[in-house]
Amino acid sequence: MKKLLIVEDEETLCLLYKEELSKEGYDVTVAYDTEQALELLGREQFDLIITDIRMPGRDGVELITEIMGLRKDVPIIINTAYQSYRDDFMTWAADAYVVKSSSLDELKSKIKDLLNR
Amino acid sequence: MIQTFQFSASDFQKDEPRELALLSIISQSFFQPFSIEDNLLVILTALTSGSGVGFNRALLFRTAGEMLKGELWLGPKSPQEANSIWEVLSTPGIGYIEIIEHNRALLRQQSDSLSERIKPLVYALDREPLMIPAVAAAKREVIWVKEAWSEPLVDKSFRDVINVNEFLCIPLFSGDEILGEVVLDNAITRRPIEHKDIQLASLCGLMAGNYIYATTLHKKLVDMERMAALGEMAMFVMHQLRNPLAAIGGFTDQLLHSPNDEVRTRRNLEIIRTEIQRLEEVLFKLSPFLKMDLRKPITFDMVPVVQAVLQSVSLMGNRKNVHIEVGMEDSLPEIYGDPTYIGEALRNLLENALDATKKGGRVSIRAGRSEPNWVVLSVEDTGRGFPESVKEKLFDPFFSTKDRGMGVGLFYVKRVMEACGGRIEVESEPGRGTIFRLFFRSREGKGENA
Repeated sequence: MKKLLIVEDEETLCLLYKEELSKEGYDVTVAYDTEQALELLGREQFDLIITDIRMPGRDGVELITEIMGLRKDVPIIINTAYQSYRDDFMTWAADAYVVKSSSLDELKSKIKDLLNR
Repeated sequence: MIQTFQFSASDFQKDEPRELALLSIISQSFFQPFSIEDNLLVILTALTSGSGVGFNRALLFRTAGEMLKGELWLGPKSPQEANSIWEVLSTPGIGYIEIIEHNRALLRQQSDSLSERIKPLVYALDREPLMIPAVAAAKREVIWVKEAWSEPLVDKSFRDVINVNEFLCIPLFSGDEILGEVVLDNAITRRPIEHKDIQLASLCGLMAGNYIYATTLHKKLVDMERMAALGEMAMFVMHQLRNPLAAIGGFTDQLLHSPNDEVRTRRNLEIIRTEIQRLEEVLFKLSPFLKMDLRKPITFDMVPVVQAVLQSVSLMGNRKNVHIEVGMEDSLPEIYGDPTYIGEALRNLLENALDATKKGGRVSIRAGRSEPNWVVLSVEDTGRGFPESVKEKLFDPFFSTKDRGMGVGLFYVKRVMEACGGRIEVESEPGRGTIFRLFFRSREGKGENA
């Protein structure tokens, strides 16, 4: 079973992602901020990371920078309400960029694509 | 025959009362909340009224791009009309305000006549051959036309419209910017134009040019600021809506796919309801921005306003177990501002203070006189405070230190304070607390009994 790490500060969305992606057959772990995500990454192996950008404390861009420093070869999907972070070149380090919408189809298909690569 | 002049006001005798009176009246009108059109009317009035420069008629051109367009023509249509107007205007005790009112009424009445006649007059300023009147504006030169009927430089259609042998063209400009032109004549009295008239008219032209320039620049700036703020706000709203919409969409899809799971249906509906409430909150929080217009401030007693706001946040204080302490100086003077907006601003500050303060902490409100004619209202908390780096951005729109903050509260407070001619100051120390001080202009001697 592929292991996903979701980094998202909105509890409601965490619940939604966990339920929906578990249904797709993934093992889903949730972190509510960058610190928690880094702690989990230090302990466990993940096949894919899905992260929000704007979060209290250190944001998703800082998380991506840290992950790159760890030299972990794990695909990253940015999942954010903000289109404008595409302008931040650090976000180019991610493998996919999804703007949150009322449908999870795009996120689901990006996950599938990256895991099958 | 024509004669040209260097455009300057330097050879004036400064102690001449007529010039001084004219200057002061025109410049005073610029400080009034008149529209640009009204202020131009003040200048045309100054040029045509007997106590001013005393021309019979004043015709105003404004530039639009590279074109000079006829806009306003002030003056009587006929000697009969002139007599009746001048009779009114020479009534003892009549002041400038009355004359302007009168002229405004006159313009409305004759909207189908004098001003209409010059509206079709349009001249290119960047194309040769430049004819009179356009040449005065284009070259920024005062032109005195003494014999219009025999002067080949005068545009024929213009001559037909103004139908007078002698007239004066005063350019309106500021720096390199050509803004318009005023054409003056004595069509009714046939009084010859004198050097003195030209000096005075030039001075009025100089002031009008700078006035138009400053006003258009200011308007452009305000528009740009507004556009930038609007763009920022539109962006922000878009983002604020996306998270709740993602949740609503996702949980609705779950409902559609498994409609028979009763427990989950109930839970999802509750989540959806909460998220919809969040959407509403976004709209609610933005609404004070959208309707905030800068009304003319009034003077009022702040005490009842502060009390009403305290009432509205007392529940929040009780819930958080934060003590709200109030200390207001007795018989405070009335302050300038809009009580509704100021109340709302104070509520924002108090809610922030309560948010930042831990259980058992204290929030204090104090009001007192500060410097003469100023009242200061302060909101102090014993909350978490913030570092210097945050202070710089604190009043920016959409900046927030709260997880779910919108970043509109303090921006709003600052705008309210600016709108009423006051100011806001802040001091903070991380871990110790924050104090906001609102400085209001006050009216001493009033409100003692309020």
